[in-house]
Amino acid sequence: MVLLTMIVRVADGLPLAASMQEDEQSGRDLQPYQTQAKQLYRKLNSESPSRCTLEAGAMNFHYAIEKGVCYLALCEAGFPRKLAFAYLEDLETEFSEQYGRKVPVVSRPYSFIEFDTYIQKTKKSYIDSRARRNLTSINTELHDVQRIMVANIEEVLQRGEALSALDSKASNLSSLSKKYRSDAKYLNTRSTYAKVAVGAVFLITLIVYVRFWWL
Amino acid sequence: MSAPGYTNLNTSVNYSLNATQNGGSAPPYQNGPAQSYPSTYPASGYGAPPQHYPSSTGHCVPASSKTPIMNNDYANYYSQHQPLLPPAAGAVTAPSSYGVPQGSLPPSQPYNTANPPASGAPLYPAAYQHPYTMPSAYYGQQYPVSQAQSQQPNLMAVSSGTNNGAPLYPIVSYPSAPGSSQYGTLRSSQAPMGPGPVSGPNVIVPPGQATGQSMSMGNGPIPPSSATPAHQGYGTATLCQQSATVNGQTNALQTQTMPHYDQNLHGHMTYSYGGVPPTTQGPDGDRPLSGTPATSVHSSPGHQPGLPYRYVTNSGVSSAPVAATTPAGQSSSSSEDEDDEDEDEEAGADSSSSTTGSASPVPNSYESLEGGSYTDPASIPPPGDLSRQAPFGYSYPAMQPNYIQTAPRSNPAPSATGYHAPGYQDMSQPFPSMSQLSAALGGLSAPELTVDSLRPVNLLQERNILPPTPTAPPEPNLSTDLKNVNCSPDTFRCTLTNIPQTQALLNKARLPLGLLLHPFRDLSQLPVITSNTIVRCRSCRTYINPFVSFLDQRRWKCNLCYRVNDVPDEFMYNPVTRSYGEPHKRPEILNSTVEFIASSDYMLRPPQPAAYLFVLDVSHNAVEGGYLNVFCQSLLENLDKLPGDTRSRVGFLTFDSTIHFYNLQEGLSQPQMLVVSDIDDVFIPTADSLLVNLKESKELVKDLLNALPSMFTHTQETHSALGPALQAAYKLMSPTGGRVSVFQTQLPTLGAGTLQSREDPNQRSSTKGVKHLGPATDFYKKLALDCSGQQIAVDLFLLSSQYSDLASLACVSKYSAGSIFYYPTFHHVHNPAQRDKFQKDLQRYLTRKIGFEAVMRIRCTKGLSIHTFHGNFFVRSTDLLSLANVNPDSGFAVQMSIEESLADTSLACFQAALLYTSSKGKRRIRVHTLCLPVVSQLSDVFAGADVQAITCLLANMAIDRSISSSLTDARDALLNAVVDSLAAYRANGSNLQPAGLIAPASLQLFPLYVLALLKQKALRTGTSTRLDDRVFNMCDFKSQPLWHVMRMVHPDLYRIDSLSEQRALRLNDTVVPQPPRLQLTAEKLTRDGAFLMDCGNVLYLWVGKCCSEMFIQDVLGCPNYASIPPNMTQIPELENPDSEQLRTFLSWLQETRSFCPALYVVKDEASAKSGFFQHLVEDRTESAFSYYEFLLHIQQQMTK
Repeated sequence: MVLLTMIVRVADGLPLAASMQEDEQSGRDLQPYQTQAKQLYRKLNSESPSRCTLEAGAMNFHYAIEKGVCYLALCEAGFPRKLAFAYLEDLETEFSEQYGRKVPVVSRPYSFIEFDTYIQKTKKSYIDSRARRNLTSINTELHDVQRIMVANIEEVLQRGEALSALDSKASNLSSLSKKYRSDAKYLNTRSTYAKVAVGAVFLITLIVYVRFWWL
Repeated sequence: MSAPGYTNLNTSVNYSLNATQNGGSAPPYQNGPAQSYPSTYPASGYGAPPQHYPSSTGHCVPASSKTPIMNNDYANYYSQHQPLLPPAAGAVTAPSSYGVPQGSLPPSQPYNTANPPASGAPLYPAAYQHPYTMPSAYYGQQYPVSQAQSQQPNLMAVSSGTNNGAPLYPIVSYPSAPGSSQYGTLRSSQAPMGPGPVSGPNVIVPPGQATGQSMSMGNGPIPPSSATPAHQGYGTATLCQQSATVNGQTNALQTQTMPHYDQNLHGHMTYSYGGVPPTTQGPDGDRPLSGTPATSVHSSPGHQPGLPYRYVTNSGVSSAPVAATTPAGQSSSSSEDEDDEDEDEEAGADSSSSTTGSASPVPNSYESLEGGSYTDPASIPPPGDLSRQAPFGYSYPAMQPNYIQTAPRSNPAPSATGYHAPGYQDMSQPFPSMSQLSAALGGLSAPELTVDSLRPVNLLQERNILPPTPTAPPEPNLSTDLKNVNCSPDTFRCTLTNIPQTQALLNKARLPLGLLLHPFRDLSQLPVITSNTIVRCRSCRTYINPFVSFLDQRRWKCNLCYRVNDVPDEFMYNPVTRSYGEPHKRPEILNSTVEFIASSDYMLRPPQPAAYLFVLDVSHNAVEGGYLNVFCQSLLENLDKLPGDTRSRVGFLTFDSTIHFYNLQEGLSQPQMLVVSDIDDVFIPTADSLLVNLKESKELVKDLLNALPSMFTHTQETHSALGPALQAAYKLMSPTGGRVSVFQTQLPTLGAGTLQSREDPNQRSSTKGVKHLGPATDFYKKLALDCSGQQIAVDLFLLSSQYSDLASLACVSKYSAGSIFYYPTFHHVHNPAQRDKFQKDLQRYLTRKIGFEAVMRIRCTKGLSIHTFHGNFFVRSTDLLSLANVNPDSGFAVQMSIEESLADTSLACFQAALLYTSSKGKRRIRVHTLCLPVVSQLSDVFAGADVQAITCLLANMAIDRSISSSLTDARDALLNAVVDSLAAYRANGSNLQPAGLIAPASLQLFPLYVLALLKQKALRTGTSTRLDDRVFNMCDFKSQPLWHVMRMVHPDLYRIDSLSEQRALRLNDTVVPQPPRLQLTAEKLTRDGAFLMDCGNVLYLWVGKCCSEMFIQDVLGCPNYASIPPNMTQIPELENPDSEQLRTFLSWLQETRSFCPALYVVKDEASAKSGFFQHLVEDRTESAFSYYEFLLHIQQQMTK
């Protein structure tokens, strides 16, 4: 069963449309998943795999990226992946036809919220087991579904964090090394000064000694 | 980090900033600009202490700070900043001083002199010395060198670098660890800059850069790398201008950087002002917005005829007013974004002229913004000017604010002398000089107004105190420019337009302090702002508003908590003028009522669709009354006008002893009725076909509405299972949220929420306490809270002729932010007036604007606190009002107290922010900001009392009191409110003769209004009042906006049989007669006249027995008095001047209100007139005082 559907612009994570979740009936609290979804599309960029399934406990996120727009669905883990991707593909076709050209220019979140109506209808037809028979054809169309990457949502979300942690550590390191370098330089200078000073003192002493005592 | 330290830090940064630009005059700056003026400004010029100056406190960056001052700036900068920035300074100087040979840079002469060694040496080492243990002398030498190198840039660093740094500063360096560790962090932020020689400008900038990095994440124009182009630009600009003026520099800068920003901005952001998204919006949804935004933007001070212009010329500023009127084409149909492009381009020409044309745009335009011309002696107009203007302005009548507002006014400053007219002085002995000064600033109207509102009125002697024209709310005593941008009194009103400084002073005045709001009012003009970042104070989350002060180009000071925030880069760009660097000309700053398109940060879930569920009573009683037919007809007519988009959903549910659902799933041939008889455990028969998409199932919905009235005609079911029906509605709606409209005609008798009759008809006219004003069960309240949690609002229509325990039922609407309608004797045949009213109300109800899943928060200046809220809502956290739905007809009231003294500020501000989802699925924030002066004298508090607002707030308080305690208590409290405040006034004005009952003119109507309150259905005793009527009246008081409450309390009475064109109002081509208002006493009624009483929701047309037959024939269309039908509810449309005049007048009265009032023609006969005569509040009734008796009673109470 599809619990949550979101359509997001990949470039900046701006939500374009979404389907109201029906959490009352399923009795589940979808808020944490929604948060995860938000984090997820902040992570997405043009280099992300264009189709991916992310496991999140009893749920799976399926997403497909097409033309800079990410279609994301939250399904129960038992929901067939083939079906989920067929559903996303269906949305993609309709959405890009209706709003595709406007996607890059909108700035308001949920600008195409009216697409919700279509999402709900499509969702219904995919959830309805009777209608599923009509979808057998997708089996053939989606043979490549097997190759879709599967990953864990936690890993995906944390990968970014790990990277940024690494990054900050690296920059820390570099700054520390810089500091070390400057400190070293400074100490060097000091010791040079000290040496010179010692030499000078010695020389002066020598000169004075020579001047007053020797002569 | 600890909060106090944090803010401290910032304020002090702020200080020195000001110092920099002001030439170092600033220490007391922080708390109101006012105090800093004395030093720059000899008081003599104004003849008064400068306390009031403040209106422009932070804003007045004098144009005169030129080069010599800059040297001082350094001193200031270092002496003040260094302690704060030790790590930064230390870190930065190190490389440069090392890298540059000492001798090669000659120390700059001015710098050395200006900068005492003391500030340089001790401070620097403090941070620096420790880790390195270097002799201080070494640094002493080095220091000037680096300074010299960076002398010019320094200034710039102060204004730009630190600016940026200020807000984030604490994050970077506040955790003030010992220097060495700090050093490390800072370096790390610098590291990416590369090893190149650290140039001058960079010396001070680092904090800014460090923050710049993290700050600019979301800001398009500035790339995140620390060597930001913007800063670079600044740096170079400053560098090449040797010893130019501060202003000149910035100016040059702007012109330089502007193109750069333009380019960047284009891609990233779109602005839509007044954003009339034309195509997507239906005719009704955003109707108020359809005015071109530009016009509202331009109601800014800059466009007021006389005054600002004079300022401008006087101070030699040529900052051209924003003349870029956005084209009317803006509202034409094209997509929002395209519109914006157009707007940008057309405004372009102006922007360039306004930026380059002004000699010193920055400070001077602040000045013109805030209306202060005081910074520069040069700006005081020449004496000739003075003599010419003073008398001119002086002669203006002060009592007509509208007039004054638009009239060209004389320059207030010079005319200050005029105020010291002897009469004025006498009158206001205790007058604070502050108000004189502010008067001087604010224009002539202010003092006279104040004086007039303080004029003592002996109520016992002066009978005709009711002004013939509707009373205008008192105007706050503010400077003109503030006044012009202040929030409309229709939206936002305070009971005291002069806020007392301390709670003690407030207690002395014995007047309630509170606000009355009408936040979602239908507006004809509303600037709508789309921007990526909504600028808000970082600590108190206040939205930026016209009353904040800009410390300089890059920082603004919050007017509520006084925190200094930085101006995001996006905000620097003004899309209206398409110019860069004019944050003070953004629409947010020019309008106190604006609407933002919210970003996804303001959404917990995707915006919900508009969802409407109608819950209809179809028991025998309901069918008998015949409301169903009226309802179905109304809904059918308005089905297309329901606010919403293609997602709108609609559902129906009927109930008697069972609950009936209707399956309206698209594709069915006709609606299916599903009956659930298990009312103890209600379930939803099918999940998703009961609340259906209106667009797709429209035909089915129409079928159902056509069939519904006839479906139950023969029902014998008398029971009503309202509770279970509401539970079903809750379950049905909870996935989406939305509006549930409940139509109920009797006491609920089955299932949960069953109620018993609690009213004893024999007690209706008891003078003892009235019982059963509170709910009998908490079922409805609990249900309402559940609904509120799921964003469902329940609106209740009660159409019942018997007692239905509204006190209990109303809870379901009260706590879910719904509205309550009551039609006490509804019958579709027997009571046509009620039927018409119901029909018209429904029409308005169904088509009015609606906001879903809304929350409202009211913020006020630090020191004030809000403690009690009145209205229909649920208070979620301490100050967050949860409004499942918000409609344009609901008002709110709050009570406030003064927790800390406001002595250090001269202005108090209040901001109401309403976040809601429009019926089109747009998340929007509507922000209203009100600004009021703070006073320290009791007489000023009285002068600023807004008697209407006070009455409304008192009514709300009295109703709370009567429910929580008893009606008698509430009535006593009301009486005491008058007695106390008048006694307080008498005690204060000791120079007045004690005889008589003296009230200040501002409060002269107070006893009358309170008497009227005591005679309202809600609060009266002794007169027979049905309990439901009483409770409904109470609900009305709590949830209606101020103007409506005032009309209920004190209706307007006009004589209409002899309308003349005298003083008539001319609107477009129609002439609306304006008959004078009469006092509400039978004395004013004459047998040969006809009178119209306007009670808000009801209009009474009283026809006297001997009324001229001409009038009866011409207007009422009846041959003579006797033939006027007893229940006439309409004025026929007759083709003669009298009839036309009256009808124009009536339609003019109706124009301003949202619900169409019912009209009753009342003959001077016993049967019908009781409804009319109960509104004549000045007259004696069997159980209540007449007005004169009431005054005597008050006097007696006062002497006790």
